[in-house]
Amino acid sequence: MTTPADGPQLPDVEYRRMSLILRLGLSTSLVLLIGGLLVYLVQHPYLGFDQALAHNPILQYLGFTGLVDGLAAGNMAAVLTLGLLALVATPILRVMTGFYYFRHGGERTMAQVTLTVLILLLFGILVLGPILR
Amino acid sequence: MQLELALPLLLLLAVAAGLVGALTGLGGGVVVIPALVLLFGVPVPDAIGVGAVTILASSSAAGAAYVREHLSDLRIGMFLEIATVPGALIGASTTVILTHASLDSILLVALGIVLLLIVPGTLSRRHVEIPEAVQPDARSQRLGLSGEYHDHVLDRDVEYHAARTTPALGVMFGAGLVSGMFGIGAGVFKVLALEKYLSLPMKVATATSNFMIGVTAAAGTGILFAAGFIDPVIAAPVALGTALGAFGGSRLLPHLRNRTVRWVFVPFIILLAIESILRGFGIG
Repeated sequence: MTTPADGPQLPDVEYRRMSLILRLGLSTSLVLLIGGLLVYLVQHPYLGFDQALAHNPILQYLGFTGLVDGLAAGNMAAVLTLGLLALVATPILRVMTGFYYFRHGGERTMAQVTLTVLILLLFGILVLGPILR
Repeated sequence: MQLELALPLLLLLAVAAGLVGALTGLGGGVVVIPALVLLFGVPVPDAIGVGAVTILASSSAAGAAYVREHLSDLRIGMFLEIATVPGALIGASTTVILTHASLDSILLVALGIVLLLIVPGTLSRRHVEIPEAVQPDARSQRLGLSGEYHDHVLDRDVEYHAARTTPALGVMFGAGLVSGMFGIGAGVFKVLALEKYLSLPMKVATATSNFMIGVTAAAGTGILFAAGFIDPVIAAPVALGTALGAFGGSRLLPHLRNRTVRWVFVPFIILLAIESILRGFGIG
């Protein structure tokens, strides 16, 4: 049996850390998404909404090497892809922080719970998603 | 329609969606997905993908504020993610498979029926401000699933304990399934599990739901993203607008009475249910 290391509620510093992760992750992704979109629109000035719907510009950047090559070439679609990835990664980073806290606090059960969640998240993104593609 | 005109409209829509999503714990997808399909002619799978992005944005924006004010219960939220994440993985995978087979209309009807079943239970508890005499179960005691927050409206500290964790985990799995499948926050189910089964105060339930929605959505979004369902040209303004709306909503929530939040919450369940059934039958 495990017992909470530090009382039922997590310490204030943990709340602040979680809040900071969420704000930084969201800010980073929005800067990449909005900045990338503005430059993309300048590069494609007469693009209609229906045309934008018909052609998803990031499909070729979903793989790791494609994304790296796209970023190295300064392609805005690759920047947009990175923005989406930052958005997805933010809650995952938050789970990692939770795991670190519980593991170092000696809360074995909660550490196992957060580790399982982390593994499932990574499995979905790195294995299941590409398989279904 | 030119993109320069469509994008500001999408932004405004997303601000409204984020505000509603944060105030109710539903997430912005509930508003964004039908609006994208009905008003902008976006195909359903693409709208689901954008909906998933709005969930991530609104959860991070509102979650940051709720967490800072200690309204979200991090321990309870992280514990319940063990059920929502597998649900979301299965749900999103099902959507990808069903979209290719054009069979998702049946699931939309089922979603609407389930949501309509929730409404009576939600209404019958609408006069409960803070749950009283809650008995935590053994798992709740072992993991320390309890806490305290300061209620600005009642002007006192409110202590709470989580009860009935097993049925709550079951509902959370269903919430993850629905979230992954339809690109919505499924806050309806999360708030239900947190409030009705765990017996948490409404504000803690809403804030913890918001906190959890991001991780659930990350599980589903990863799959939808890899399947090419997310178009960033549409998703970017929607994510920005939802984040702004969610930030505003999270600032309002601590100063509203629980009953006010609930009366915002109930009509949106009904709207979501009707929308799902109609679309499932190809109407609207």
